[in-house]
Amino acid sequence: MIGDKKAITERTIGMVGLIVALAAPLIFNAYWVDVILTQALIVGITAASLIFLSAYGGLVSLAQTMLMGTAGVMLGNMVVTKGGAGGETQGLNLGWDPTLSLVLALLGTTVLGLLFGALAARSTGIYFLMITLTYSVIGFYFVGQVTLVSGFSGIAGINAYTPSFIGDIANDRNRLYFIALGVAIVVYAAIRFLVRTPFGLALQGLRDEPVRMSSLGFAVPLHRTLAFGFAAFLASLSGVLFVWWQGQIAPGDIGIQSTIDLLVVAVIGGLTRIEGAWVGALAFILINNYVRDSWLTHLLDKVGIGGSFNTIIGLVFLVIVLVSPDGLMGAWDRLWGLGGNGKGEGPSVTSIPAGEKV
Amino acid sequence: MSRFTRHRKLLLPLGVLMILATVVVSTSFASSKAKVVKVAIMTDCKGGFGFGYEPDIGGAQAALANYAHGKVLDPKKPSAGMTGIRVGSTSVKIVGYGCGDDTVPTAVKETRRLMEQLGADVMIGPLSGGEAVYVANYAKAHPTKTFIIGTAGSQDPTLQIAPKNMFRYHGDGAQWNAGIGEIAYKKLGWRKAAIIMDDYPFGWTSSAGIIADFCAIGGQITKRVYPPLGATDYSSYVQQLPPPNTIDGTFWVVGGTGTSAALTAYEQAYGPLDPKKNIGNLFFAFLGADKVVGPKVVGSYVGGFGTGPGLKSAQAKNYEGIVARWYPGLNAGNYADGFVYNYFNAAWALVIGLTHSNGAVGAALQAGLPRTLKPGYQVSNAGVLKLDSNRQAIQDQYPLQMVKKADGSVGAAIVGFVPNVDQSFGGLFTKSSPPPSRTQPACVKKSLPWQGKIKVVKNGVILPAVIK
Amino acid sequence: MGNVDVRRLIPRLTVGFLVAGVVLYIAVIANPAPAVGGSWRTTTFGSAFHDWHSFMRTLLNGLTFAGLLFIVASGFSLIFGLMRVVNMAHGSFYLLGGYVAYEVQQKMAGSGYTIAGSNINTWEWVLPALVAAAVIGAVGLVVQQVFLRWNQGQELRQALITIAISVIIADQVLAHFNGGLASSVTWPGWTDRLVALPLIGIDYSLARLIVLFLGLMVGLGLWLWLYRTRTGMVIRAGVDDRQMTSALGVNIQLTFAIAFVVGSSLAAFGGVVGASQGAVAPGQDGQWLLNSLVVVIIGGLGSLLGAAAGSLLYGLVFSFSAVYLPTAGNNCCTQYSILFTFILLALVLAFRPQGLFGRFS
Repeated sequence: MIGDKKAITERTIGMVGLIVALAAPLIFNAYWVDVILTQALIVGITAASLIFLSAYGGLVSLAQTMLMGTAGVMLGNMVVTKGGAGGETQGLNLGWDPTLSLVLALLGTTVLGLLFGALAARSTGIYFLMITLTYSVIGFYFVGQVTLVSGFSGIAGINAYTPSFIGDIANDRNRLYFIALGVAIVVYAAIRFLVRTPFGLALQGLRDEPVRMSSLGFAVPLHRTLAFGFAAFLASLSGVLFVWWQGQIAPGDIGIQSTIDLLVVAVIGGLTRIEGAWVGALAFILINNYVRDSWLTHLLDKVGIGGSFNTIIGLVFLVIVLVSPDGLMGAWDRLWGLGGNGKGEGPSVTSIPAGEKV
Repeated sequence: MSRFTRHRKLLLPLGVLMILATVVVSTSFASSKAKVVKVAIMTDCKGGFGFGYEPDIGGAQAALANYAHGKVLDPKKPSAGMTGIRVGSTSVKIVGYGCGDDTVPTAVKETRRLMEQLGADVMIGPLSGGEAVYVANYAKAHPTKTFIIGTAGSQDPTLQIAPKNMFRYHGDGAQWNAGIGEIAYKKLGWRKAAIIMDDYPFGWTSSAGIIADFCAIGGQITKRVYPPLGATDYSSYVQQLPPPNTIDGTFWVVGGTGTSAALTAYEQAYGPLDPKKNIGNLFFAFLGADKVVGPKVVGSYVGGFGTGPGLKSAQAKNYEGIVARWYPGLNAGNYADGFVYNYFNAAWALVIGLTHSNGAVGAALQAGLPRTLKPGYQVSNAGVLKLDSNRQAIQDQYPLQMVKKADGSVGAAIVGFVPNVDQSFGGLFTKSSPPPSRTQPACVKKSLPWQGKIKVVKNGVILPAVIK
Repeated sequence: MGNVDVRRLIPRLTVGFLVAGVVLYIAVIANPAPAVGGSWRTTTFGSAFHDWHSFMRTLLNGLTFAGLLFIVASGFSLIFGLMRVVNMAHGSFYLLGGYVAYEVQQKMAGSGYTIAGSNINTWEWVLPALVAAAVIGAVGLVVQQVFLRWNQGQELRQALITIAISVIIADQVLAHFNGGLASSVTWPGWTDRLVALPLIGIDYSLARLIVLFLGLMVGLGLWLWLYRTRTGMVIRAGVDDRQMTSALGVNIQLTFAIAFVVGSSLAAFGGVVGASQGAVAPGQDGQWLLNSLVVVIIGGLGSLLGAAAGSLLYGLVFSFSAVYLPTAGNNCCTQYSILFTFILLALVLAFRPQGLFGRFS
């Protein structure tokens, strides 16, 4: 059966990928491991939280970047001490124990996610998208304007204060890489596990037939809230990893540009499959990094269009979205003859369902 | 549908992927070959300061062309690149141009791309204050790399963070405004003034210089208004400013797209701007503002940019001649714009440093980078600019005035000369003092080293007379 | 069964009390801020009771800003309401419109820098505005026909296509229009004055009143078009029920094209007005896209009345929060005015996710 062959091929590719990932510090140079691969893993986790909600909950959320940033800002405020590694950095400079701060940051973001989810749970479709975009913008302005917790320049020196079981990841970048890899694998496994539990199945039911599920007695808003909370937890994991990777966090990290970038990552990867998160993240980072000083820009001048590599990046994304609406994973599915709405794990989520109030 | 037609749709993305793969593979395994000094020029190509891209690169490369035998590839487009740069027998290669957008996250990505992926040994840049704070922290963690700030005006990089491998050959945002407060006090008779500033670090830093200067001589700032950066509508913020008939004057520290909008809002609230009651910082005169808001503020005094447009000195003429020789018409002929000037001096200092270190980078280069320079618009100490112990420039400053030129356009003319302005601003800013913010510095009377020593400048000539 | 739904009532009562509290605070409670210090009861000018003129000025500022918001957001709302396309390039059309008008005006009357008002007559403003609206209308038509026509219903995909287009446009503007420098369009000279408003008792800028007037004209024009012409009728039908409209044999594609052209032209016209009120510069495309989204979310997608209501609310909250937030200390609170506009947005969404006048379709 095609389905079996596909599954076997995917598993093989997955295994190969995992082996390459485990051996990456040996194969690639340090820059690649640190800037390309680690970043792809971290962005992938955030994108996975988005894709989880869209593929299994039918909800496209634009608040994941903000939630990621919230965890980072919380952690930054709690661990950094004034005059420490970040210099005269902004923030509350509480200087608490890193392990406690880690737990509090994850917890705090998840609670925030549950709250936001509760507020947004009665909406779906484009209205849910708009609400989450609003959260994102509020978060951006809050972090940017309230100098007590961050301000424009943000908080620096965060990765000098890590829990003892994490160790020194400011200098030992391979260590951070493996931690990110481990977390990414756990996140992937957790999502795959969760969607097979009764909760996950109910969620998918809600995605497809909310009215029916409601009449069957399922508390629709509660399920959505919990799903959003779970996605917030995933985003908080990536937020913590992010500040360990970058060392700093500033409002620009959670601005509208970053929010849209995450959406682009998810769509390039494919909104219907979790694997798309990391595939999309890697593709996005590669394109952004390598299209710059390339001969393509000179081509632009020759053709008379002018402009810089930003035009090229815009064109590349345009082409990708035009050619494959389900992203790279969708293209892969179609290669195996499972186009459109076939046996993919979720619906072809390029259309946002008209909002329904439940 | 046959397998082939199904696959057809994938050909394009697959093709793109293959191109990417070749590019990626060739660079991911890249290793360095013969000893070449790799330089990266970090500037903005997007966002509020995106227009600074070509002027910055042009300024730096003009210096490299003049002092390091660089060969200009396109005199009309500096980003087209340069070849043949060498210092002594060491070859120098520009490995990349950073493209920031005035935000920290992009600065992070660009810095790492330039310094790690492309392996640059030296960075000339960045452009903006927020970016420079990040780069300073990065520099502290990477002591073998060298960083020469492009034109960023934030205070922290050389005052608070001050890594040993970071150099700045121009003043910071506060230093640039030295003298303008005294001019307001003495020439316009201002005693009570209001100030409106962008609510972000550069707005605070630039204002800090104005407030410190004005309050030191006895002026009082009675109201501070902080519109958010790039607010869409300034009318309600302008409304918080005291009306012109209740106050001696208003200082404007609003930049980017906001300068024009804020000034228009003020005009629409209180009528045409009285040049005697409105003083701006460099955002009135530079970065293209002379064309956009210049006509509105003819006659207003303006805080400087550490440069002296129209200065009639041999050193200035020499500098302008050099830029005009390699990149004629750069920045529409405004070579006195800090964007060009500061990047020029940074690149020139690098050449001198490499000469002293015999092409070595790292600690040897950092030791070899000059602690003095003779940049175009320096006049004190026989035209020699000095770096302080934090590798921060002590720079002459030139307050200006917006004047109407013969062809009807508006430009900035120097009206004052403030010698040897240091970053501490006469002891006001130290490592432990509170950094510029919405409320800092406080308005205090004190004596500054250049108080009462600001020379009058007429027609580009520094006169012995002092501003009274 | 006649029972009051308590779950729905409590949030509504809370909001009601909040709004009443704010109104009372602004109207009578607030005190003028002293020269030094301040508290939760003090605002920059005190209450409306204390300082009627400042209150009216703030009100007018909000209304005139709302006029500009309406011009831009109505186009966005029209495109979304009818075609369910979230046109993320709407801000880029605003930007392009401003720059095109700048170039045209410079060619007519300029020499490379901002022109003094006295040198500009009415036609020298109107023609650049018309050209800008026409050019960007054409651009919008091309975008719609080439990129959006064949993937109807795939909203997320269309949103991403327009995002990519906005990136390209933003970069091209930097390359081709005045080097990406901030550029100003000049109002005709006769607008450069303050008019004494009779009943209100203040002198207010004529240019700002004209912005309000233009917003009203756009609103009137749209209303006439949508409610008094056949095309408009089709558009309204399409907003209500797209499939049915098309099933009735109406040339829905032509209608879509027309709507997109009108929407883009409105964005461009808004750009011209915005460039006249300040300057147009790269970076504003994102800002104005956000403004349009906020207005349309508050007011309701696809509703003309909603766009008007959203613009009013947004403009007024923005204007009032900058002046009437307490001056309770150095770091509070007028700096947070921009935060308040988004808190307003969140409140509206929390209680009425489809917007004030929106409907689920």
